[in-house]
Amino acid sequence: MTAKEVHNQKLVKEAEHAVLQAHTRRHFLKESAMGLGALAFGSMFGSCGRSAPSTSIPFDPTHPLLPKSPPFFGKAKSVIYLHMAGAPSQLELFDYKPELMKMDGQDCPPSLLEGKRFAFIRGVPKMLGPQANFQQRGASGAWISDHLPHLATVADELCFLKGVKTDQFNHAPAQLLLHTGSPRLGRPSMGSWVTYGLGTENQNLPGFVVLTSGGSFPDAGKSVWGSGFLPSVYQGVQCRSEGDPVLFINDPKGMSRDVRKASIDAIAEANQQEYKEYNDPEILSRISQYEMAFRMQVSVPEVMNINNEPEYIKEMYGVQPGKDCFANNALLARKLVEKGVRYVQLFDWGWDAHGDNASNALDVGIINKYRSVDKSITALLLDLKQRGLLDETLVVWGGEFGRTPMMENRNGAQNPYKGRDHHTEAFTIWMAGAGIKKGFSYGETDEIGYSAINGKVEAFDIQATILNQLGFDHELFTHEFQGRPFRLTDVSGRVINEIMA
Amino acid sequence: MKALLNKKIIFVSALLIVAAVVFTFSTSHPRVDFNTEVKPIFNKKCISCHGGVKSKANFSLLFRSEALAPTESGRPAIIPGKPEESELIRRITHSDPEERMPYKHAALEKHEIEILRNWIKQGAEWGDHWAYLPVKKVTVPDIESDWYKNDIDRFIFTKLKEKQLKPSAPAEKSVILRRAALDIIGMLPDSALAANFLRDSSAASYDRLIDSLLASPHYGERWATLWLDLARYADTKGYESDYGRNIWKYRDWVIKAYNDDMPYDKFLTEQIAGDLLPNPTDAQYIATAFHRNAMSNDEGGTDNEEFRTSSVIDRVNTTWEGIMGTTFACVQCHSHPYDPFRHEEYYSFMAYFNNTRDEDVPDEYPMLRDFNDSLTSKLNELTDWVKQNSNDSAANAIRQFVRTWQPSINSTAVDNISNNIIENNNYALLFHNNSIARIRGVKMDRSDKLIMRFATWKDAGVLQFRLDSANGRLLKTYPVNSFKGNKIVEIDYPVVDGVHDVYMSYTNRLLKDSIEYGIMFNWFYFTREFPAQQAPGYAKMKKQYWDLITAYLPGTPIMMENPEEWQRKTNVFERGNWMAKGKEVQPGVPQSLQYALPKDAPANRLGLAMWLTNKQNPLVARTLVNRLWEQLFGTGIAETLEDLGTQGIAPTHVELLDHLSWKLMNEYNWSMKKLVRELVTSATYRQSSKVSEENKQKDLFNKYYARGPRIRLTSEQLRDQHLGICGQLNEQLYGKSVMPWQPDGIWLSPYNGSKWNANKDAGQYRRALYTYWKRSSPYPSMIAFDGSQRVVCNARRIRTNTPLQALVTLNDSAYLDMARHFAYRMKADGGADIAKQIAKGYERMMFKAITNEKLNVFTNLYAKALEDFKKNPERTCEMIGIMNEHNNASSAALVVVANAMLNMDEVITKN
Repeated sequence: MTAKEVHNQKLVKEAEHAVLQAHTRRHFLKESAMGLGALAFGSMFGSCGRSAPSTSIPFDPTHPLLPKSPPFFGKAKSVIYLHMAGAPSQLELFDYKPELMKMDGQDCPPSLLEGKRFAFIRGVPKMLGPQANFQQRGASGAWISDHLPHLATVADELCFLKGVKTDQFNHAPAQLLLHTGSPRLGRPSMGSWVTYGLGTENQNLPGFVVLTSGGSFPDAGKSVWGSGFLPSVYQGVQCRSEGDPVLFINDPKGMSRDVRKASIDAIAEANQQEYKEYNDPEILSRISQYEMAFRMQVSVPEVMNINNEPEYIKEMYGVQPGKDCFANNALLARKLVEKGVRYVQLFDWGWDAHGDNASNALDVGIINKYRSVDKSITALLLDLKQRGLLDETLVVWGGEFGRTPMMENRNGAQNPYKGRDHHTEAFTIWMAGAGIKKGFSYGETDEIGYSAINGKVEAFDIQATILNQLGFDHELFTHEFQGRPFRLTDVSGRVINEIMA
Repeated sequence: MKALLNKKIIFVSALLIVAAVVFTFSTSHPRVDFNTEVKPIFNKKCISCHGGVKSKANFSLLFRSEALAPTESGRPAIIPGKPEESELIRRITHSDPEERMPYKHAALEKHEIEILRNWIKQGAEWGDHWAYLPVKKVTVPDIESDWYKNDIDRFIFTKLKEKQLKPSAPAEKSVILRRAALDIIGMLPDSALAANFLRDSSAASYDRLIDSLLASPHYGERWATLWLDLARYADTKGYESDYGRNIWKYRDWVIKAYNDDMPYDKFLTEQIAGDLLPNPTDAQYIATAFHRNAMSNDEGGTDNEEFRTSSVIDRVNTTWEGIMGTTFACVQCHSHPYDPFRHEEYYSFMAYFNNTRDEDVPDEYPMLRDFNDSLTSKLNELTDWVKQNSNDSAANAIRQFVRTWQPSINSTAVDNISNNIIENNNYALLFHNNSIARIRGVKMDRSDKLIMRFATWKDAGVLQFRLDSANGRLLKTYPVNSFKGNKIVEIDYPVVDGVHDVYMSYTNRLLKDSIEYGIMFNWFYFTREFPAQQAPGYAKMKKQYWDLITAYLPGTPIMMENPEEWQRKTNVFERGNWMAKGKEVQPGVPQSLQYALPKDAPANRLGLAMWLTNKQNPLVARTLVNRLWEQLFGTGIAETLEDLGTQGIAPTHVELLDHLSWKLMNEYNWSMKKLVRELVTSATYRQSSKVSEENKQKDLFNKYYARGPRIRLTSEQLRDQHLGICGQLNEQLYGKSVMPWQPDGIWLSPYNGSKWNANKDAGQYRRALYTYWKRSSPYPSMIAFDGSQRVVCNARRIRTNTPLQALVTLNDSAYLDMARHFAYRMKADGGADIAKQIAKGYERMMFKAITNEKLNVFTNLYAKALEDFKKNPERTCEMIGIMNEHNNASSAALVVVANAMLNMDEVITKN
């Protein structure tokens, strides 16, 4: 397609969208003089410090998840966000720092400590060289350590952001900042914003699915997939490998599908009779929600069942059916996206490499973490690619902050194992697919990986970029709450145009 | 991209022009109203560049003084009386797009320009937004109709006439019975009350019903639910590990306050400042837990001061949003974009809350230790003795210390000099061998006793206390040997006066390793010897004192003010950043609402409470009335409960809101029961909720109340109603939170091994508001029905309608259990005939006879299910769950029917 054709296509999309919006609004506005009632419209004007007409999202409480077109053509139809909760070390995986090796075991220079706040480091810690061997990979020559041998084979699909920064050095606030735009609780998560803005393509599945592994929820709890001040219908729905795949999706024991169908029909019939008496459209909407629930009861277990995948796929991901493991979730992510789910959020817990015990030591427990995700993430990328889905699926990988080039000395004493403290000034996130440059690296840290020195980006920029790939201008995508328009990126954010293909 | 955006603007502008042509016929204004005509234009088109956030060209439209002041050019942009000389008019009508305002945006519409021109011509008078002006007595509209039951109806009827709508007929008795009960007590009425009402055909029967419901102790439970959303009440602290918090006594305080119909002004005063009232009672202390519901963060490595500050900010935001329906949070970073609140005023307001004793420590001090009657009488005996033999102030200090261990110094506030740490940066002070720590600036005040709480697990330790330096004057050498758990000890030293740093050292020859710790501190309290040593009974009283201090008791977090010497300064946070401290501020309310602050109000939380509950305060009564209205009618008179300001949605019946607010304060003396009574006895409330075709066309969302409310039940109403229908509801009031059944694997907080231990006894059938509420993983079925997560103040629940809700009431084991019990009940009620069983069941839910059509639906379902169970006996067994007398196909089929009936729209809706 030529640039002109692309442009024309965008215009067509845009016109369709305008018509859709006008229609939707007219439909609801004509019903009431005030035009509001149960409808909450997105803001018509800018957020703090900005004064542009914003994207107005018609919220139809009876069909809140119907697909909507984005304001402009977005390269991504879906997002898979792989969050390594606890924050993996950039220095052992992607940010190769031979100079740091030379400093291994030396006292940390005072300039790196003065005026800085750390979660656990006290006094003067020692520097810790990279606990990994690095090689350049693929045609792009990306540095990837030997800890990720599988991912190394797809280096040319990835786009690294090496200058990511944050201002939160505790897990829960940093995770919240990354996923909700605020380090405190109460804001909608990115997946909620996305399903609020775009709805979802498969009405028989939730639009925003969350999958967790590692035996624990992320530190910020369910709030990282909460809907904040958006209607609760947009919160992430947790799908599980154990128990009901979605809470309450299975019929009670002893109830056959036929009997369930008969009971849903009976409820619908009784409700129809009530509608005749009360004439309240909300009753019809209730009937359709029950029908949808019935359909979800079929489609959710179906999509959550990985047993019927071919052997080579199961082998490729390294799944362990029935277990709570990342590999299963990676495969499920692909299945869900394939079925039209808009936003799939994975959290894998257990990356907090302090070195105060063996399980979180860089040279012991964390090695197992690398192994538990390497193969499946690679499989996910290849699988999406072979199905032609990678072009329209944005895959993001990362943690909530980075790790210090210093070895952690908890409470001023050397930790028993090799570990690093939480670090805000530099870490690595990578993206792949959906219009992002392949085999590219953006941003750079200093020679020991302490600070980003160019190509600095922060959570708001990541969010702005994700929204951009989905067809939203993050500054215009707002929701009116507490008397002012809120947006995911608060008052900041810049689309990282440098990484656009 | 750029071109695309321009095209879009052109497209949008074209639409706007079309709209403008349609709407701009009347442009002549006799008198322009600032609030309804001018302010909306400013807010929409101007204020994001010329307001509280930015004031480009030094021009702001937030306050009149700013708007008329000289701008960057040296001249004012608005010259009252002279539109043509006003730069504002010149710029909005300019032909050069570079000059024309709004900059880079579509021009103002013609009629908007006319409004502004006329407004300036008429003197550019500013108007205050209605919600910021005191409530005045409103004249009740004087139109006659025999529809009226009370004054509410006159306001409603006036508007209905204006909109050419007619009120609906009264709801049937069965419907209004169910509606009123769900609204007033949050559950169905008991069968005697229901039967009496349905039998009683007298005109007064409804009033009698309402009085009985209002007198029910379940009234308090229902309304507490609402308040707990505002108070962000939960049973855990929040954030990462989300450990438990023992604060359920606050929940019980709220229930009791509603049941006692505590006047709202007192209700607020006790919650905001109960601890500052003279000789506060236990209940008044517990009330202050309102603001101890703010979250706290125990995550390893977090800074206590950061999260203490964040709790204080949360208290400010909750006070404004929950009690005053005003969004104040944005003033944290800059002046309010639209409303008359300046940046600095946020911090003056914060100063009211910035001197409480809590410091985000894991033990949640200060706590009110639970005293039963026997302990209380011992304490009274003790303090009476002290009063008699010493003085009142000594007695009061002793009482406070015994009940709260305050004012003590948290060990986390101690400075490390050498070899010690604050575990996890926030937990407690720990010593290695050869440790020295400093307790800074202790007001010794002729003290001779240190009472401290600590733990040590190594024998042969030696503590030394010195004055002012690590080798300063030795106060005391104190040997410590190991013991289990924590201990409180008293250490005496020669009398010291003045303010000093106290240095504390620790040596222990048994600690070989430099990593090993020997002792951990909790808190320190410097005090004088127990008074009146010479008085008779001293030894007994001192022992009693000590027994009370060391008694192992749970406690409830409360608010308590810092003693004078620990007062914190409050500074403006530049751009909301707590690390960037700007100028110092004193406690105060915003200038624009200063008029409601009584002259004698002290500059503390008590003064703040006086301001809130002053009848001049324009926001408090209106916010409450609006909220109670929303609870009954589904939508507030002003829809945005959280924001009555200029950006909130304008009220549909502003005079009614004011009328009720005035009455609440002046006639009802803040009685919430009287207000609820007034609302539910109105003809407006008592209407049928059937939607006529005309009504549907003209007012789909029922903004004008030409019909009664028809709303899906809240998560709490739903559970409580269903438990009642199935006969399992445990009506016990008050007490610790309970854990009804929930699926496995819901709780998975990091570093927190707590488990959901489902109650197996009647505790599992308690009302929804007693359900243990874990912030990071709230009870799933309640969240599905739009329950509030309770992490921050939630001023309004947004109702949704989703398939996940259907899955809860269809499949959740807790709801299936209810269906089983309902089925057995139907069997017991209806005898052998299935139709009769179903009819009885329906009557239990709806208080009326089932129609033949519906009866057919469910008897057919029964037949179908019965056939299935007869063919598949193993399913029967599964459906019933256990081997009991119900383990047969007919019961199993009836469970299916019961499950379906409990899912009918009319059952999960308040009709």
